[in-house]
Parts: sequence; C-alpha cells; structure tokens
Amino acid sequence: MKLIGAILIILATTWVGFEGAKRLSDRPKQLRQLKVAIQSLEAEIMYGLTPLAEASEHIAKQMPKPISNFFEQFAYRLLNKQETAFEAWEESLKETWGQTSMLESEREVMMQFGATLGQHDREQQQKQIKLTLSHLEREEQEAKDRQHRYERMIKSLGFLSGLLIVILML
Amino acid sequence: MYDVNTIFQIAGIGIVVAMIHTVLKQMGKEDWAHWVTLIGFVVVLYMVATIVDDLFQKIKGVFLFQG
Repeated sequence: MKLIGAILIILATTWVGFEGAKRLSDRPKQLRQLKVAIQSLEAEIMYGLTPLAEASEHIAKQMPKPISNFFEQFAYRLLNKQETAFEAWEESLKETWGQTSMLESEREVMMQFGATLGQHDREQQQKQIKLTLSHLEREEQEAKDRQHRYERMIKSLGFLSGLLIVILML
Repeated sequence: MYDVNTIFQIAGIGIVVAMIHTVLKQMGKEDWAHWVTLIGFVVVLYMVATIVDDLFQKIKGVFLFQG
C-alpha cells in the first residue's frame, strides 16, 4: 500500500516536470511556426494581392494546430463581424493566446503588428512585416537559449522533488 | 520505537537534497540551490531534535522515576 502511494507521488511530480519541459520546448517551435505564418502572410499580400481574410484562411489551412486556430479566428471575425482589422486581430489574439506556449513579449509584438495591419500601402506593410519578423527572430533565439538551459533541469527537478517528498513521508 | 530506518531516511534526504543542489547550481540558480539546502537542513534538524528530545524524556523516566 505504501509502495503504491510512493510510486504515485513520484509519477505525478515527474509528470509535472515533463509537462513544464514540454512547454519550454514548445515555445521556440511555435515561434518558428508563427514566423513562417507571417512570412506567408507577406507573400500573400505582396505577390498574391489576396484580401486579408482570404489570406489568413489559407494560412490557417497550412499551419499546425495552435497557430492555425488564431488565423482561423481572425478570418472568421473579418468575414462575419463588423470589425476593423485591428479589432479582429486583437480579439482573436486574446482568445487563442492561452492555447499556445508563448509569453507576454511575443503577444506584445503581435499586437503592435496588428495595429499596423490594413493601415498602409503594400511597401509600408512589407516594412512592418519585416520588423515583426526580426522581433520574432530575437524572441526565438531567446526562447531556444532558455530551453537549452532549463529543460533538463526541470525534468530532473520534478523527479527529485517527488523522491524527496516520498522519503520525508516514509 | 525508532529503528535503523530513521537513519536511512535522513541519509536519503541528504542525498536527494545534494542532487537537487547540484542540478540547480549547474543551471545557474545558485540562490535557489542554497535555499533548498537550507530547508533540507532545517527539516533534518527538526527530525533529529524530536528524536533527541525523546531520548532525554526516556533518560528522565529511567533515572528520576517520572512518567
């Protein structure tokens, strides 16, 4: 009986550790996907001359899960609600940000990008996209750095803290 | 009442705390590492103090014929 409890505690804390490590390793991955998404948005605007709603629908189809939700939401809001591009962008950011592993700083970058959306002509828009991409690039570097530093630590810390609790209660 | 298990328990706490200390220190969180060590030390000290208190009560009971 005691043994089962001990194993359960260790499993639970180890799982918490792995979950934390997964969030840490998801962040650079999702940042990269976001970069790809914005690049294809640039391509759609510059070369395809596609309207924003249609372009983000295309992107939503191409991207994997948490990122695609955002663009889907954005396209839906643009098409079905009477909102400006910035409002739609802001609202869909608010709604879908919780599903991603990204942090407040990326959210700020995306908000700033949303504020410029649909305000300028194509050249200006492209400059804004470039600016956002370089911001995201920097965030991705930082996220990778953090992942390298903390991923192993969080995993082993989860297991070790479980072991400590078990020994304390023995 | 107390058998050899308590000694092993304290040894286990020592080993695990030392490992946590090493991991945290390796990742550059030295302040956390020191806190973990300090808390582990306090816990072990509390356990030892309880046991020594028990010992003193027993000695008192043997030599002074009290409860």
